[in-house]
Amino acid sequence: MLRRLTPYLFALPLLSFIAVFTYIPILQSLNLSFREWDFLSPTKPFVGLDNYRLLLDSREFWNALTVTSIFAVISVPLRLLLALFIASRLLRETLVSRLMRGALFLPSVTSTVAIAVVFSWVFSTDYGMMNALLTGLGFSKVAWLQEPQLALGVLIFVNTWKQLGYDIIIYIAGLQAIPGELYDAAAVDGGKRGHVFRRVTVPLVMPTTYFLLMISVIEAFQVFTIVDVMTGGGPAGATDMLVNMLYRVGFTLFDIGLGSALAVLLFIFLIALAIFKARVLGRKVHYEA
Amino acid sequence: MKPENPLLALLALTAGVLFLSPVLYSIWMSFQTADAYYTGKLDFTLSNYEMAIGQYNFARYLLNSVIVSGLVTIVGLAVATMAAFAFARYRFPGGNLMFGAVVATLMIPSHITLIPNYLTLANAGLLDTYAGLILPAISNGFAAFFLRQYIRGIPRALDEAAYMDGATPLQVLWRVIVPIAKPAILSMGLYIFITEWNNYIWPLVAVGREDLYTLQIGLARLYRIDPGEGVINWPLVMAASTITILPVLLGFIFVERHLVRGIMMGAVK
Repeated sequence: MLRRLTPYLFALPLLSFIAVFTYIPILQSLNLSFREWDFLSPTKPFVGLDNYRLLLDSREFWNALTVTSIFAVISVPLRLLLALFIASRLLRETLVSRLMRGALFLPSVTSTVAIAVVFSWVFSTDYGMMNALLTGLGFSKVAWLQEPQLALGVLIFVNTWKQLGYDIIIYIAGLQAIPGELYDAAAVDGGKRGHVFRRVTVPLVMPTTYFLLMISVIEAFQVFTIVDVMTGGGPAGATDMLVNMLYRVGFTLFDIGLGSALAVLLFIFLIALAIFKARVLGRKVHYEA
Repeated sequence: MKPENPLLALLALTAGVLFLSPVLYSIWMSFQTADAYYTGKLDFTLSNYEMAIGQYNFARYLLNSVIVSGLVTIVGLAVATMAAFAFARYRFPGGNLMFGAVVATLMIPSHITLIPNYLTLANAGLLDTYAGLILPAISNGFAAFFLRQYIRGIPRALDEAAYMDGATPLQVLWRVIVPIAKPAILSMGLYIFITEWNNYIWPLVAVGREDLYTLQIGLARLYRIDPGEGVINWPLVMAASTITILPVLLGFIFVERHLVRGIMMGAVK
């Protein structure tokens, strides 16, 4: 009897944690999204789809969705292009290339809050590094974090700076998996460097690109920390992302119903992306014969 | 390793330093007095660190971060390794379904659980406690998945030899599997520790009491709320930021290769 129970006993702790803190909460969110509740009142009346209707009618939601989409659409391709370019230059196992990989990778394991604080200084109007550089070159100061479009641009820059090293490491793994003979064959055929890169490297590294594309899109739609610390969603909502709105609605306004509805919508969207990722990766990943 | 072209090496080194210059400069700035910084002079001091640790309680935040990240790592690894062992070594009714449920958590965006987990911990009276910070972070589907793959690569003959000698499953796990899987377990431990160390949104939600702040919360508060008279004391903020970064930075220098290998392995899943 005990023998048959053994695997269950081993798996039980993990499964209980997952049940209590992941799966049951999803159902709870769904349930709460159909109710009106401010966290304090004793009743949670059922209001049907009211929260969803409220959300879809609010300018705040469409603004956050737009801003987050712009953030994703610009930062994801930027990251991947830069990462592929740099990775293809850091393939050799030399001391310099190892040091460079280390330097580039460091930000991705560093505290996001600390990075956000440091770059708040870099882009601060009066004492920042950027404006010191600009005034040194004879230009006037720029209010980086106070101008709506510039502020979003700064966030994209900081996010790219932080995540680039991770993408590079993954690309290096992907590039190293490409058999050397293919390059030899291309060289024999007299392929020029740029040509080989486009015709051999890019198509063969496609599975890695798909992998990075999907995880970075999912990540981009969940960005929170750098925004919360650097701009708080401002100026005037210009950098207000979906998760920042979720945090505000749920934990500052304590509108649990509306916050849950927003969480459910975000969840459905990201799960759809993840399933799409699994499908696409499942099909495109097998290029080796 | 091949010898380098010195010019190329110098160029690369410059690029690397330039890339990291904001962080490097912030560390440098943390050793300057505020007066010297704002007037452009040089005046080396440790007073920012004294202030961050004394007046602003960063020693406490550091301790909190070590306790929370340390416990999440140890308990998380134990729980993940046991489950990985079950999924790698046993075929049992419901096993595939359970493993599927574990792997599916990799796709679930964590923000859907934010409000319900807050409510769960509020009901259990665990907000503003270490337990409230730690419990929701214990389950790590990625670590369980990764370790299961690794354990499957260990020859079963080793388990069987131990069973012949009368070992129990727990002994087999502890004496046979864990020693062999040590590199993978260490990689996952690093990954869990760093992720938890840098966690921001959950402590932000789960903790209101100042003496339970982790470094991330303490730093964000210091930067956003402290200014008072409107001028941010940047050297002080950078001292706090350096305290927040340093443990991972030092660890990184020692274990970089380990960590990078772990992440690469994870990507080829």
